[in-house]
Amino acid sequence: MESQTVFIILIIAVTAAVTVLLRAFPFLLFSTGKKCPEVISYIGKVLSPAAIAMLVIYCFCSVYRDKTFASGGFGIPELAGSITVIVLHWWKKNPLLSIICGTTVYMLILQNFF
Amino acid sequence: MLKEKTFAKAFTASLPVLMGYTAMGMAAGLLLAGRVNRPDIALWAFFSSISSISGALQFAMVDWIVNRTALLDVALLTLFLNIRYAMYGLSLLEKFRGIGFWKKCYLIWSLTDETFALEADSRFPDKKTNTRYCLQVALLNHSYWVFGVTAGALAGKIIPFSTRGIDFAMTALFLVVLTDQCRERTNRIPAMIGMISAIAGRVFFSVDNMLIPAMILMTAAFLIFRKKLEKHLASGEN
Repeated sequence: MESQTVFIILIIAVTAAVTVLLRAFPFLLFSTGKKCPEVISYIGKVLSPAAIAMLVIYCFCSVYRDKTFASGGFGIPELAGSITVIVLHWWKKNPLLSIICGTTVYMLILQNFF
Repeated sequence: MLKEKTFAKAFTASLPVLMGYTAMGMAAGLLLAGRVNRPDIALWAFFSSISSISGALQFAMVDWIVNRTALLDVALLTLFLNIRYAMYGLSLLEKFRGIGFWKKCYLIWSLTDETFALEADSRFPDKKTNTRYCLQVALLNHSYWVFGVTAGALAGKIIPFSTRGIDFAMTALFLVVLTDQCRERTNRIPAMIGMISAIAGRVFFSVDNMLIPAMILMTAAFLIFRKKLEKHLASGEN
């Protein structure tokens, strides 16, 4: 089998396994009526927003993996796209609208100017 | 209650999810087809959406396939990205108690944010009806997601247009989730800590190696400032 195919299968297997284990975690551990340790529910609560914020930063860094800051447009496309998403979403609360408009703004600037 | 009656209720309740999942799934499928250039991509879109129904993961996975991210990183990232699912189960323990093994397995496997919201909200007087309703909701939502992702990947293969920059859709999705979370005041400081940890990770490591140190850093910060943060969390509840 071609190596990318193997890799895709592995990715699907790993992501599915971790996701299912997470979903099953409380049922496996606390089925007998044991209570969840407080520190775990605390970490779970604070980790969600933190992990998403981390991934936003990671996305920005990952754009400049193969190109320099100057050739990528000094962050202008990312800034414009992000502002579009945040403002639109804060105001309209429609995820799809925010994602489509933000990505369109980003792609238009990137493809026409940089 | 009659079988048809619960199905009608499940279907009506799942209508908003139908809109959301097909549209969001299509965006993820388009992104996948735009970045991973191979003739059978729709097939992989199908398998990946059926095996782990998860929005952010479906988007992030594209990047991992393109960059050949190490599998350990993939596992850890999935863990952090989807850690909230572990919390959902906690509030469904009682509701799912006593359900048959395979049915329970499917309910757990298919537990997304939206499905959780609908199931947690179901209030039928008897257990059997409740279970049937939950299964129907789960199956409907699951099929919307698989349909959306697969259709998106097919469309991406057929419609030729310049996809340069389409990977911003993933950034946009994370920004949307972050914006929603930051509406809740108590989430802002944890989000800030996550952001600072990520920047610190990037300062000391390369792009490909920044995430694990960042995750260790934020977890350490959360444990060190636990007392203060718990007080802060509690302040938002009353």
